Amino acid sequence: MMVSLLLCTPLLFALFCALAPSNRWIGRLSLLGLGLVLIQVLDLSYGVIQNGPLDAGMWYIDDISVIFLLLMAVISFLVGIYALSYIGHELHEGVLTPRDSRFYHVFIQLFLFTMLLVLVVDSLGLMWIAIESTTLASAFLVGFYKKEESLEAAWKYIMICSVGIALALMGVTLMYASSLDVFGDSSRALDWSVLKGVAATLDPTLLKLSFIFIIAGYGTKAGLAPMHTWLPDAHSQAPSPVSAMMSALLLNCAMYGIIRFHVITEAAVPGFSSSLLLGFGLVSVAVAALFISITTDLKRMLAYSSIEHMGIVAIALGIGGTWGTVGAVIHIAAHSLTKSMLFLSAGDIVQKYGTRDIASITGVLKSIPWSGRFFTAGCLGIVGLPPFPIFLGEAIIVYAALQSGDFLVAALFLVLLLMVFVAFTYRFVPMLGGDSGLEPSPSPLSRLLPMGILLIMGLALGLVLPGPVLEFLQDVAAQIGGVL
Amino acid sequence: MTEIMMNSLNILAVGILLASLMAMTTPRMGQLIRIFTLQSLMLAGMAALVGYQTGSEHLYIIASIIVLLKVFIIPRFLNYSIERIKVKRELEPLLGIPGSLLLSAAIVVLAYFVTEPVISLTEVITRNCLAISLAVTLIGLLLMITRRKAMTEVIGLLMMENGLFLAVISTSHGMPLIVEMGIFFDVLVAVIIMGMFAFRINETFETSDTSILKRLRY
Repeated sequence: MMVSLLLCTPLLFALFCALAPSNRWIGRLSLLGLGLVLIQVLDLSYGVIQNGPLDAGMWYIDDISVIFLLLMAVISFLVGIYALSYIGHELHEGVLTPRDSRFYHVFIQLFLFTMLLVLVVDSLGLMWIAIESTTLASAFLVGFYKKEESLEAAWKYIMICSVGIALALMGVTLMYASSLDVFGDSSRALDWSVLKGVAATLDPTLLKLSFIFIIAGYGTKAGLAPMHTWLPDAHSQAPSPVSAMMSALLLNCAMYGIIRFHVITEAAVPGFSSSLLLGFGLVSVAVAALFISITTDLKRMLAYSSIEHMGIVAIALGIGGTWGTVGAVIHIAAHSLTKSMLFLSAGDIVQKYGTRDIASITGVLKSIPWSGRFFTAGCLGIVGLPPFPIFLGEAIIVYAALQSGDFLVAALFLVLLLMVFVAFTYRFVPMLGGDSGLEPSPSPLSRLLPMGILLIMGLALGLVLPGPVLEFLQDVAAQIGGVL
Repeated sequence: MTEIMMNSLNILAVGILLASLMAMTTPRMGQLIRIFTLQSLMLAGMAALVGYQTGSEHLYIIASIIVLLKVFIIPRFLNYSIERIKVKRELEPLLGIPGSLLLSAAIVVLAYFVTEPVISLTEVITRNCLAISLAVTLIGLLLMITRRKAMTEVIGLLMMENGLFLAVISTSHGMPLIVEMGIFFDVLVAVIIMGMFAFRINETFETSDTSILKRLRY
């Protein structure tokens, strides 16, 4: 019941935004919707952490989904605050019409609905439907600016992701076929809550084939190389708040799907899915390192960095064990917090300079002092310097690799990280200093506040890592990979 | 299972594969849509037959949705979109017909090879179907890669989905009904959105040839 209410909220507010009388009301209603989602998610998560998994009919929420749900609700609310000022600015400049603004808010609510749906459904089949719907709901947001480039990005996005998702359906089908052998004819044979209990007895051949399709399919959506080609286009062409949501939240949803299948496959065929994840992860980080060093576009650079971090999460899951999994979960949270802040501050930069070309952006710290500082912090965080949380995640992953005796993986991982570090630093440092000749302008509080909160949450995770949080993460790790 | 039932299931499965191969050879848009319609019809027949044979009544519902959606609504929508954006009737494939067919044949062999260990385990009904569904899915992907028009890419995707449905119907006699309904809904919405984008591409670039979409690199 509570879950249905949670899902209805963004749907209802999409309707409200579509019907709202004036532009001002649309913005307010949209933010109110996001706020209500946040409150409900906090309440639900508290219940799940206290009382264990919530299993009600179609819905199933356990500790793993709670982490993703919390990230989703918090970040989408903060991005929502930012978006009011961002879209307002574009309206003021005449880039957008009031109709576009209404369109934006309606689709943001629908997009949030589909992403929430991914995280709360029990059936792996329904999860597939939800992941496909995230593509459909966000395609229009990618093609929002109706320019030639955004149209191209939207077309590639919807085609490549639909193909990927179609392949994943084959994986779901094979999983269902394998579980039918155990259950006979049952309408619950795709439910994760049931499947995880019998995972070890499922047919290994079918599961292996199934996981290959799943990692090819959901991997496309998660931006794992070499299926990542849509990602830099879509992330660079979408409006910056949407880029932040796609990078920090949408990729997580696909990763969540992979994790669900990984747990089941790993129980039946130990070592198979983890080695696939490890391989795709290493390739993704390598590809990202290469493209970060040659791209000329600020937002594309950030998008390639998302590919890198999804790769790191895949590597961590591939290493497995308690620490590998804790590392993966921390890294997911750290990446979401840091990357959303980075995309928001990059949105400020792009609006101020009117270009995404890295070479023509200089003197960021001077022309937009506060957003510039957040941008600097974000860049330092994303390359993995302490005290930012990504450092913590990466350190735990290296530790996990060493502990499980994967010295080659640890070495390769460190070399790749170093490559990304050099490439990224080489690109972002020249943008900070110098003088752009632009009049310095203060950023409105409604933009600085979300970035500030994201930074504080990131630092809290990276510096403090409160004891209860770590215990909770270890619990989650036990659920994902503790059997190993 | 009776001999007749067995034969008709096999004939339908092979018919679906043949339709995919025909799609690879056709040089014309209208014909491609007709082939897709025919393939969907055979898929619906397959669903109904498997439903009759196994007694799973919800497969009849699935069969009728396939007929409604993939035999009537979607082909009409595709024809309408083609009229509206005035696609040239010729398809101008990036890869010639002999090459396409050769690759498709390789895909069929690969599909049988990959599913070999699974086929020996499962019941009779799925023997050919799993391999064929995999082949149809991958040929659909090949169709998408080697054709340049926006609408052909959409048809390639739809044919991939036909292959997937063949797998669903034959291996597990259909998924839970609510999942199936959701999948159909997604497919319909996806096709409509793709049609809208194809129209916008045509308006903006004055062609629906997607090989000109090459601005975004690195």
